[in-house]
Amino acid sequence: MQVLFDNLQVLFQGLALGSIYSLVALGFVLIIRATNVVNFAQGDFAMLGAYSMVLFFTGLGWPYWVSFVGALAAMAVFGVIFNYGVYYPLRHRSFLPVVISTLGASIFLQNTVLAVFGPQPRPLEKVLAADGVNIGGVFLDSQYLVILAVTLALVLFTYLFFEHTLLGKKLQATSQDKDMARLLGIPVALMISITFIYSAVLGGIAGVLVGPILFVSIGMGSIIALKAFAATIIGGFGDVTGAIVGGLLLGVIESMAAYHISVPYKDAYAFLALFIFLLFRPSGIFGEKVSEKA
Amino acid sequence: MALLELKGVASYYGNVQALKGLSLHVNQGELVTLLGANGAGKSTTLKTISGLVQPAQGEVWFEGRPIHRLGPEAIAKLGISHVPEGRRIFPGLTVRENIMLGTSTRGRLPRAQMADEVEQMFAIFPEIKKFENALGWTLSGGQQQMLAVARGLMARPKLLLLDEPSLGLAPLIVQNLFGTIREIRSLGTTILLVEQNANMALSVADRGYVLETGSLTVEGTPQDLLDNEEVRAAYLGGHHG
Repeated sequence: MQVLFDNLQVLFQGLALGSIYSLVALGFVLIIRATNVVNFAQGDFAMLGAYSMVLFFTGLGWPYWVSFVGALAAMAVFGVIFNYGVYYPLRHRSFLPVVISTLGASIFLQNTVLAVFGPQPRPLEKVLAADGVNIGGVFLDSQYLVILAVTLALVLFTYLFFEHTLLGKKLQATSQDKDMARLLGIPVALMISITFIYSAVLGGIAGVLVGPILFVSIGMGSIIALKAFAATIIGGFGDVTGAIVGGLLLGVIESMAAYHISVPYKDAYAFLALFIFLLFRPSGIFGEKVSEKA
Repeated sequence: MALLELKGVASYYGNVQALKGLSLHVNQGELVTLLGANGAGKSTTLKTISGLVQPAQGEVWFEGRPIHRLGPEAIAKLGISHVPEGRRIFPGLTVRENIMLGTSTRGRLPRAQMADEVEQMFAIFPEIKKFENALGWTLSGGQQQMLAVARGLMARPKLLLLDEPSLGLAPLIVQNLFGTIREIRSLGTTILLVEQNANMALSVADRGYVLETGSLTVEGTPQDLLDNEEVRAAYLGGHHG
């Protein structure tokens, strides 16, 4: 019986951790679809969100929810700045200059935060004061519960937004055929801006939520981004559902393997899973055969 | 005054000069056709009008104002709807969604009005009505063409630019499509029609131009063009018999 409880406990933690990967992976995929570019600074969106929270809540002493909203607003503004500073000037160039530009942005952001906040990792409050609940021997940590609930809500919101609003359809049209979208009078630059804003806010939420678990540090974004990127490949590159499922799966694989095999290799399992997928199912779970885009 | 006027337009595609000092005009309410072989510059002409290609020289005027420095979004908002070659349906959106996006230049429409206008399109193109919730990529070429024209019409354009609507379609479908083009025109929409199918195009047009490697060679009424020996030889399948 205890074995079952322990496994459920690990599964629960894996799903919560996986939710964080899913949120960042979702941000990845939305930008890939809108711009055909992999944003290597995606993880740093999470890092920046977490540090905004540290600044507003710990530093300035704002109430928790005001700080939370403030951090998301800061991320939204940052999304616009990132678009116009990193992507937009290179939008007519090929894939590579933009990727290098996002890599540069990542290094710049990490070092800027390092200069401002120093190298010491920062603790962050949990969203709820309560520790958690114990259901029949399985302890559900409140922060993990919050992460799961918020992720579920965001996934639902993203689905409704993209599938049931005209703006969502315009964003999809922009990602499918930019020139045609422009011929229809859809403001493509604005659509891409909105994508970056949304993606930055998603990353920011992930950072604020995972902060209390991992500590807020300069490098927190890099490891999350690597996992999230692996999740997008496992789920099917560029596929929205795939990003979410891939993230959850990766979180569970990682937690289960850490529990059953060995904790120190925790990070390795995710990449082992990535290797296995790349070898045997490179198109991922939901991926179709991807042809090179012209 | 002409609704649309091109004055000495030169456009490049990379280093290749696609248009060499092209001048033409389209009057309000007219259906004008632009004929020519592959590579003559027909599509480039339309792209230059809709802003996808910026002319290196010359001017494009629409409703008495220059538009050749504007981007495609701004030009679409002025009332020019470009149905490009290859249909360019959004593959991952449904037929209904593709049609709805045609209204993007018109601001926010009330839900009921939107539904109403989509139904009007299905009345013009009944063949695609039964696929309204199917994704764009699943349609056949002819259905995609109808969808592309329907989407273009949803902008309520003052000027509709049609690029090779008959390309790749079965003769019967081409007949239908041109019937529809005639209908659209009779509702008051000005049309500039690019075609390789010269016989079909001239059967609906008020005037025609023949384009050859970037410049115009002949202009006139359909009868003038039909009577022109060179035009007949090049585009209408053989000499007077």
